[in-house]
Amino acid sequence: MIVWAVFTLILSSVSALGQSGLYGDEFHEELVLKQLPSGHVYSYFQFTTLWENGGDQPNHHCHLFPQSLSEVLHLYNVDEMHLSLTGGLWRHENWGYPVVSAPPGAELWAWFKEGTHDVDKKWTLLSNALSGLFCASLNFINPQQSPSPKYSFAPLGAYGSASQNRSLLRYSTLPREIVCTENLTPFKKLLPCDSKKGLSSLLNAGNIHNANYHSLGIHVRPQCKDENCHETVLELKQTVSLVYDLIILGQESRDWSFRKLFGVGLAGPCPLAKSSKIYVDCSTNATTFDYNLSPDPTEFINSNRGGYNTVFAVYDIKKTHIINMFSVSATHKGPRVQSIISPPVIHATRYIVGYGQEHGGIVTKIHNNHWKEIDITLFENIPWFLPTYYHTLKITANGGKQVLKPYAKHYLPGRDRSRPYTLEFLVTLPPRSVTEIYLEFDYSFLKWQEYPPDANHGFYVGAAAITTLLPHTKNYTGVPIDGSTFSSSINASRDTYPVTLHTEILLVTLPTPDFSMPYNVICLACTVVALAFGPLHNHTTKRLQMLDPSEETKGVIANLRQRLNSFLTQSTKAKEQSSPAPSEVIKSPQKEEAACGSKVTSRKKDRAAKSS
Amino acid sequence: MSYMFSFLALCCLLHLVPLHSCESAIDSRIPEGFQKGTHTNNWAVLVDTSRFWFNYRHVANVLSIYRSVKRLGIPDSQIILMVADDMPCNLRNPRPATVFNNANEHINVYGDDVEVDYRGYEVTVENFLRLLIGRLPPGTPRSKQLLSDEGSNVLVYLTGHGGDGFLKFQDSEEISSQELADAVEQMWQKRRYNEMFFVIDTCQASSMYDKMYSPNVLAVASSLVGEDSLSHHVDPAIGVYIIDRYTYYALDFLERVEPDSRKTLGEFLKVCPKRLCISTVGVRRDLFRRNPDKVLITDFFGAVRPVEVVAAMDTNWPQSTNLAFKNSTLQVSYKKTKQSNLKHVYSPQFPLKT
Repeated sequence: MIVWAVFTLILSSVSALGQSGLYGDEFHEELVLKQLPSGHVYSYFQFTTLWENGGDQPNHHCHLFPQSLSEVLHLYNVDEMHLSLTGGLWRHENWGYPVVSAPPGAELWAWFKEGTHDVDKKWTLLSNALSGLFCASLNFINPQQSPSPKYSFAPLGAYGSASQNRSLLRYSTLPREIVCTENLTPFKKLLPCDSKKGLSSLLNAGNIHNANYHSLGIHVRPQCKDENCHETVLELKQTVSLVYDLIILGQESRDWSFRKLFGVGLAGPCPLAKSSKIYVDCSTNATTFDYNLSPDPTEFINSNRGGYNTVFAVYDIKKTHIINMFSVSATHKGPRVQSIISPPVIHATRYIVGYGQEHGGIVTKIHNNHWKEIDITLFENIPWFLPTYYHTLKITANGGKQVLKPYAKHYLPGRDRSRPYTLEFLVTLPPRSVTEIYLEFDYSFLKWQEYPPDANHGFYVGAAAITTLLPHTKNYTGVPIDGSTFSSSINASRDTYPVTLHTEILLVTLPTPDFSMPYNVICLACTVVALAFGPLHNHTTKRLQMLDPSEETKGVIANLRQRLNSFLTQSTKAKEQSSPAPSEVIKSPQKEEAACGSKVTSRKKDRAAKSS
Repeated sequence: MSYMFSFLALCCLLHLVPLHSCESAIDSRIPEGFQKGTHTNNWAVLVDTSRFWFNYRHVANVLSIYRSVKRLGIPDSQIILMVADDMPCNLRNPRPATVFNNANEHINVYGDDVEVDYRGYEVTVENFLRLLIGRLPPGTPRSKQLLSDEGSNVLVYLTGHGGDGFLKFQDSEEISSQELADAVEQMWQKRRYNEMFFVIDTCQASSMYDKMYSPNVLAVASSLVGEDSLSHHVDPAIGVYIIDRYTYYALDFLERVEPDSRKTLGEFLKVCPKRLCISTVGVRRDLFRRNPDKVLITDFFGAVRPVEVVAAMDTNWPQSTNLAFKNSTLQVSYKKTKQSNLKHVYSPQFPLKT
């Protein structure tokens, strides 16, 4: 009890220091809740740490920023780093756009500082260090399998110049990576309050991994300190995105509460946080849904962004007096109504076509629901064991009626075991269209030691990434590039809204030998039988005869002489035949050849006679 | 509180002074019956070598031991946990992020705070041997290294499918008992352990320690050569066997151990008599110098130093009298001094059409 009191005392005094800006850093925690039109509940946690001196010295004192991460970033010259660990697939068609997009599995991309020489080596060391930090198998990322995209994954940070040296970018995905509590535990330990206080105390492993979609994200970038942007601060965004299916959660009810979603209530804000807020998107309340929020929010905010209105119910946890446990709950009124889902502007699906274990094809379908043309970038990263054929690339729209021509493209053919196939292009999608991108590939054989222990499970191909600029903010929730916290997206109208979509990952079955014990026994037995059968068959079917070597040589000479004689007699016969009819010779060149041949042989014979 | 701190401080001091010169002097002042520790730190290497859902029980085995050592005080930084497959978040698991030790869901051995160091395809014979002998590729993070020294008591726990003289890794490769024995010998020569407690739960388990020849190793196996190690029971909710017999009873015993309890290794060696285990638990004590009946179980499963206040020792620590210095360090401003006129800009998020 006393220990706890002392701890809270220290914590509160430290928080006072932190808020006074002595260390030049601040921490914000936010939670966004949104009932999606499909009935799912999307909850997005964002923990933002801004550190004024982050980019300066390697051994700078860390206060709120996690030291383990700061050391890694400095050691390996990292300007900007984005890591996501995701389970499940974000369904754009039904759910709209997430605040941060992530493909299934693990994705890591980083921009290294200008002037970094051995980027490949630094990249390997970075992925190794992160694998230790987050208990993920990121050490399987190697520079050979990590391309530098030419058009996608532009830096998100603020830099001295807008020019992009693409050789400093590395991108890699591990589509098979599993995300579980062992990744969440180190993730929570990077937070200033761990999971002891504040919104992070809602992150319970059992409830998170029960979700339809869960994604952890770590995003580091230099960010403008103020509007003039003469100075930058280091921004660390730790995000957790969850999509719950309320029906799976039980009780056959559309109502939700903290207890239902996260298993616990909220005890209070993190004392180290400068702001601690919960936003509930109520735009669809009273239209699509009809629910009551309890308790009453601190305020309602009307956000007008790009012509679309969003209403947020805001709970300021710092200002809320929490006696026991705080929980937001939504209770629905009236009967359940199946609402019409209006899909977002751009969404995509991808799948494998073909049969057999020789050839196949990848089809990516991109939907453009806008009334105008939209430019997109597509980035495909296909592993070396699926050699693709560039000449088979077909980009067609509206059921193959319209052939599209990309206005910029970049294709880097792969090399066995050392380089993946990278295809990237920019194309203009016609209005209200479905564009189909088709690419053929071969299934290749691996060496027997290259097969993983569960080879029959299949091999994964990472997600394709589509980058575009949205014309409006319908279904859009992203934070603007010049903002850090989610609150900066309120009333943030811009010319365009950048968005990245990730497609499905693919599972392909390569021709796989049977590694099981019976198969090996059969192979071994067959080999033994084959080895035994050959000699046995020879011994039993062939009769061995003794030959006198001297006779054998005699025989050969005699044989030759005999052949020569027979040849000579033939040629003389031919001469005799050809002489009376010269016209025939002209008609048939074959015969002339034969005649010439005979002359040569006869000459040879003369010479042979001379020499003998 | 202050007593607690001085205990800890004294403990640190005890280990700082050169052992040989002061050992006898300290020994004479240590009360009778007080446990004299021979080690300075504890490490645990816990390995599950089996992949696939039907081997759920092996993951439950290794997590049972993980839970116990963590509860008894070994920090995550000194536990190397290798799990060859993902059971807790496997889609076949009806209760995500949990692994239970019995069908009644008595203990969630996976817990809410877990760090797996080697997982999935990383669990290979090569990685395991490299971890033991410390020859790891450059760039290996600290959490994947066994940074033990000559004062470390190392607990090695293996579980998986084995046979006479080998243990299978991921159903695709094997480690032989000779390889393992040579690795332990290399550890000894490189002073990577003080004492080792080797526990293995697999079929024909005792064959894995037969070839060992390095000193200070106490080995226990769930079955003798020619015997199978059996599983405890099926959980109908997940459709597979949930835990192995030996580890089930070992966890049952360890759950009753507290960091300060006086239970000995001798008791641990008897946790699973033949009527419970069905297989015969094998023990090899010829390499181990101490009598297991006098060794505390927390010497291997915990990280608790035996601490006792010695009256004659000088416990006056150099107090930081210079408070002004302390304050001055606090007052250092971390604000930037230099101002630049360079304006930072954001890159365009979409390549411009040329």
